Amino acid sequence: MADEHVQKTLEELSRDLQESKARLEEAQRVAHVGHWEWDLETDVIVWSDETYRIFGLSPQERPMDLATVQSLVHPEDREALYGGVDEDLVAGIRPDAEFRIVRPNGEVRTVHALTSRRWSFVPRDAKRDSAGRPYKLFGTVQDITERKRAEETLQLTQAHFREGQRLARMGSWTSDGTKCQWSDELFQIYGLDPRKGVPGTEEFLTIIHAQDRPSMAEAIRSMLEEERGCDVTTRVMRPDGKMRYVRCVGMRVVEQGVFKGFLGTGMDVTEQELLTQELRRERAYLNEAQGLAHIGSFACNFVTGQNFHLSDETIRMHGFDPSGPQVPFEDFFATIQPEDLQGVKDALEKAIRTRTDYDIEYRICRADNGNIRFFRSLGHHNPAGEIGDYVGTTIDITERKRAEQEHEKLRRLEGELAHINRLNMMGELAAALAHEIKQPIAASITSANACVRWLERNPPDLARARAAAARIEQDGNRAAEVINRLRSFYKKGSPPKREMVDIKEITREMSDLFRTEAIRYSVKIRSEFPEDTPNVLADRVQIQQVFMNLMLNAIEAMKDTGGALTITARPNSQGQTIVSISDTGVGLPQESTEQIFDAFHTTKPEGTGMGLAITRSIVESHGGRVWANANQGAGATFHFTLPVEDEAHA
Amino acid sequence: MKSAGAPTVFIIDDDRGMRQSIQDLVESVGLHAESFATGGEFLNRKRTNDPSCLVLDVRLPQMSGLDFQRQLAEAGMQIPIIFVTAHGDVPMSVRALKSGAVEFLTKPFRDQDLLDAIQQALQRDRAERDRQAEIHDLQERYDALTAREQQVMALVVSGMLNKQIASEIGAGEATVKIHRGNVMRKMKAGSVVDLVRMADKLKLSPRR
Repeated sequence: MADEHVQKTLEELSRDLQESKARLEEAQRVAHVGHWEWDLETDVIVWSDETYRIFGLSPQERPMDLATVQSLVHPEDREALYGGVDEDLVAGIRPDAEFRIVRPNGEVRTVHALTSRRWSFVPRDAKRDSAGRPYKLFGTVQDITERKRAEETLQLTQAHFREGQRLARMGSWTSDGTKCQWSDELFQIYGLDPRKGVPGTEEFLTIIHAQDRPSMAEAIRSMLEEERGCDVTTRVMRPDGKMRYVRCVGMRVVEQGVFKGFLGTGMDVTEQELLTQELRRERAYLNEAQGLAHIGSFACNFVTGQNFHLSDETIRMHGFDPSGPQVPFEDFFATIQPEDLQGVKDALEKAIRTRTDYDIEYRICRADNGNIRFFRSLGHHNPAGEIGDYVGTTIDITERKRAEQEHEKLRRLEGELAHINRLNMMGELAAALAHEIKQPIAASITSANACVRWLERNPPDLARARAAAARIEQDGNRAAEVINRLRSFYKKGSPPKREMVDIKEITREMSDLFRTEAIRYSVKIRSEFPEDTPNVLADRVQIQQVFMNLMLNAIEAMKDTGGALTITARPNSQGQTIVSISDTGVGLPQESTEQIFDAFHTTKPEGTGMGLAITRSIVESHGGRVWANANQGAGATFHFTLPVEDEAHA
Repeated sequence: MKSAGAPTVFIIDDDRGMRQSIQDLVESVGLHAESFATGGEFLNRKRTNDPSCLVLDVRLPQMSGLDFQRQLAEAGMQIPIIFVTAHGDVPMSVRALKSGAVEFLTKPFRDQDLLDAIQQALQRDRAERDRQAEIHDLQERYDALTAREQQVMALVVSGMLNKQIASEIGAGEATVKIHRGNVMRKMKAGSVVDLVRMADKLKLSPRR
């Protein structure tokens, strides 16, 4: 019975022990704390399972001894840890140590080891040898890597914070309503000595610039009495004589609905403030300059419709108020005249799509007074920016535009005058030539009459008749000479000038010249040239005159009816270019179409009869030919050939 | 050589051929002709009392024929003018004819037209010269009247009877009769109607 009891008790005890041991192991595992036992005589070290784990080993994977343990300690910490261990043991110190270990996988951990006070510190508890040295030590080891790191990080953070405040010239402060605390940097900013402590309100106000003192005093008052936050920038007259701009911001701190005080910053914003003032001044100058020049600047995104920057002048130019509320992007667009809107949109769309700059002109109707103004807008696309980002200027070019229009009107008038002059000149030339030719012809007719009369006398006066006949011959030759002079007008008048002439360009010029006239008589001028129409080798001015004569004839033929004037060009079989000018007018007279090219031949009441004669002279002097034919329908077509450039070189 | 009293045709044309041919044509019909290149040359020539006319080119180097026509009229040189021109227009011919031109011919003209015009012009010049001679004669007779006779003549041609004239000039009717008889005789008037025509030619304004 007793044995049984003992047996049972032993079993129970053994079970309890097992359980205690298991609990201890579990507790160590949870707390990351292991224990160790060091036999100083044998240097055998016994580790708990958790100790093995801390050192990165499998529990009880191998027996431990001092050398093995030492090899696991970080080489740099080995000397410090074991160097004076004997003396320490004798002196009974080194109850704890912090050192790094290196796990077999190379990971470095920081551990904290405690040596049991019971065994090492209190001499009677330690197992000691004859020399008084304990021969067995017991202790714990804890992995404190994470805690260590957190500590280091905190230290670093605080250092950074201080450094940050210093660099940012920003100090911080807290206040619970009665007591105030300042960071070191805040003292520095205000130029005060931290050792003298935070100044009282009155003292503080003495270093604020007199002009800013009332606003600062008011901010402090409203914080203290009304628990309101603040944001004031004041000039501070530091005791060292320097003036600085300091911005003081205070934020209310409320915890669970209860006002706790203020958290705030003090920033030295001198540089910013001076820059801001400078910027404000520059901006004022720029605005002034823009206003004088009527140039506005802008930065916007045409895709998103955001305005990033609009100068006052830009706003004013459109008839909005720069001091008023912000004007939406669309409102600027809405001022563009409806006739010009599509053109502006197309140009912008193209620029945005191709990511290129743009340069457009358009009219707007001012939002305030409805005046129409001409604008030129230049946009520069920033390749680094978003699609649609443009920086540009808008220029009021109304005055320039009006001047241009005036100029254009004058130019057109000049063209018309030149035309009239030409007609007058032609008329005078024709009249002069007519007189020149008529004179000898009339003289020879009269002489012939006289001659006949001398012959009819009884008896005939042969001597007088012969004299009259001689005069007839003389005057006949004289008339022929005048005509020869006319025919060689373009052949000998001036040495032939030959240059490459683009007949498309001449057609354009002449079309421009006759535009007013064409509109007046409802004549549409069209030109159809193949893309590869070659240049001709000719005297530019003379070819202009040929075009002028034929186009003028065509327009005059359609004066009463209106119609279409068509100019075409095509190559002929000889490689020359045939230019055809056709109208839908009255057509050609019944007589031979060759005759119309003769000098003084005219079918028009106001005509001089010289236009086509001169035209023929010019064309023939260029080695070309001119002819005319009646159209199938109404009107006539005049053709002329001109040598092309290649042929002339060949 | 031209005989005294025979007419002369003057020609002014700057075109030598024209000038010569016209002169030749005129001479071919037996008329005397003289030609000049400018108006100035013509003015320098000494004039005779023989009938004449002028064939004038409208376009002269220094001045137009029309201006020359006006210049002649202002100088009191009366000569019938036939204009010829190489490029005449209607307004120009109207102006010329209004200013007394005989004809306005455009070159080239039919020879007969020019010769007819010349004959007409010479005829006109002759008539004008006759008229001038008659007026000159009448003026001489009129100037030979006494002041009283001139006074009576004016009253007679205004249609007054002897009795009225007598009371007008404060004389007896018999006295008026004597004056009247002297006037008729000195003026070589056959009747009162004759006398009135003479007063007309002398441009005496009727009293009243």
